[in-house]
Amino acid sequence: MKDTGGPIVYVIDDDRQIRDGLHSLIRSVGLRVETFASAQEFLDAKRPDAPACLILDVRMPGLSGFDLQQTLKDAHLELPIIFITGHGDIPMSVRAMKEGAHEFLPKPVRGQDLLEAVQKALAANTVARGERAELDEIRSRFQSLTPREREVMDLVVAGLLNKQIADELGMSELTVKTHRARVMEKTAADSLAHLVRMAERLRVHAQK
Amino acid sequence: MIAERHKRRWSRTLLEYAIASGLSALALWLSIVLQTRFGNPFWFFFAIAVIVSTWTGGRGPGWVAVVFSALAALYFFVPPYRSWHLNLEDVPFFLTFALCQVGTNWLIAWRRDTEDAVRRARDELEIRVEERTAELKLSNDALVTQMEEQRRTQEALLAARTELARVARITTIGELTASIAHEVNQPIAAVVANADACEAWLARAVPDLAEARAAAERAVQSATRASEVIVRIRSMIVKATPEKGPVHLNSVIEETAALAAGQAERQGVTLDLALDPALLPVFGDSIQLQQVILNLAVNGMEAMSTVQGRPRVLTIRSESREPGQVQISVEDSGTGIAPENLGRLFDAFFTTRPSGMGMGLSISRSIIEAHGGKLCAQSDGRSGSAFRFTLPAAKGPAA
Repeated sequence: MKDTGGPIVYVIDDDRQIRDGLHSLIRSVGLRVETFASAQEFLDAKRPDAPACLILDVRMPGLSGFDLQQTLKDAHLELPIIFITGHGDIPMSVRAMKEGAHEFLPKPVRGQDLLEAVQKALAANTVARGERAELDEIRSRFQSLTPREREVMDLVVAGLLNKQIADELGMSELTVKTHRARVMEKTAADSLAHLVRMAERLRVHAQK
Repeated sequence: MIAERHKRRWSRTLLEYAIASGLSALALWLSIVLQTRFGNPFWFFFAIAVIVSTWTGGRGPGWVAVVFSALAALYFFVPPYRSWHLNLEDVPFFLTFALCQVGTNWLIAWRRDTEDAVRRARDELEIRVEERTAELKLSNDALVTQMEEQRRTQEALLAARTELARVARITTIGELTASIAHEVNQPIAAVVANADACEAWLARAVPDLAEARAAAERAVQSATRASEVIVRIRSMIVKATPEKGPVHLNSVIEETAALAAGQAERQGVTLDLALDPALLPVFGDSIQLQQVILNLAVNGMEAMSTVQGRPRVLTIRSESREPGQVQISVEDSGTGIAPENLGRLFDAFFTTRPSGMGMGLSISRSIIEAHGGKLCAQSDGRSGSAFRFTLPAAKGPAA
């Protein structure tokens, strides 16, 4: 279900006053905000399918900020995270950044710094989501190929001529041409180069 | 080993019998030679042979000499000469001779036995005395070791206790600081977030006053919370203030010196107390004041740890000052305090020591000020420093 209400900022902080302040601050620039008192509450909530980022206090009772970061990573829920901490030291921030934190801000954080970090995080998430959607689209197109078509496509992408493919697969050149046309149609490829690029992207992503 | 000793005893016995036989033969030879030359019977050589044989070899060799001399006398010197025959009239003479020899042997042997017994008893006694002396020395050594160990244990215990108290104090301060920092930082972060939000609502093209007001109100709430946290911490510290009473600083100094004596000895520092016997008591908390003096003393000793070639002396002085003031000084003969550091000594977290917290002097000054006194430092930057504090003497007669 595609949500069209615009990007969302999730705020998780156990301190209600801080939560309310951040809620108001982020709302004031026209962004959607949802606040949670704990990491568990956030995990239990239903989240709309929209670009989003996470503002997270490192020190919280229960699941800590780092724990949540790990949980999301394990679940392949790649949301950019902005950490806020009152006692940040260098090793801690290094660890968070290594694990893919988007920002690491000291508490009390200046509104301007936080909003800038949020904008960057949302932009990054929008790009990532776009890429992911595109990739999903390509994957579903490729999955609609029949096994025979797939074989033909692999050889086409590998740079073989129709005649060579026909010899390789033991079929007539005409049959190869038919399969090839079906492949181009199903994958919505404008050209051979386009097909090759899409196949490459899928391959690279599968390796990751 | 035993066979060896056995063999030696046997060769000794053999030697003794050989001496007895030799001496008897010599006596016989001398007697014959002298009697042939001078006519008179020279029997007494046999007596000498018996005496010497018995004396050197005991009864057995003595008997050899006795029998030999009796037979020799019978054969050579009792008529008829050179014959074993004994005439009846010569029997008393021969018997007397023989009995004399036997008596001599017996007397000498008896004497010898007695002397042996005495010597053995003396040797045994000596050995026993030596043994007992060694035992006594051993237990004495053990006792000395034990006492030394006990002294060291006691010193270690004291050092550990002092260190524990110090660490506990520092840890408490550290934990307290971290906790206070968090407690105060939370509401401040909320104040900042709400104030920024308020500003953002006002900065919009169409300012949203309702949102701005709400944010401002929340900022005020958070600020109030921050202030409440501080009030709570202050009341906690006030509650923790120990009881006060009259304090005799001279005895506090003496106790402190006893506490510091171990460290002083290890660091080669001479502790010198110059106490005013007429010192008036002050009103305060003796444990806190002791902490101050101990802290100053430990600082002073550490300041002298690099001093070489001149004595390391730590002087703790108490003096009466007019009007109604008491002054305590802790003076060291260290390298002094650099002028640029003199002004920052009492700042929290200022330290020149690599492992120092920089809390000691800061806390000491707070304690002295809480007692209505002043703590200050003096140094010429070369030959030592002095820390002095003055406290008002307690009012009232018995105080």
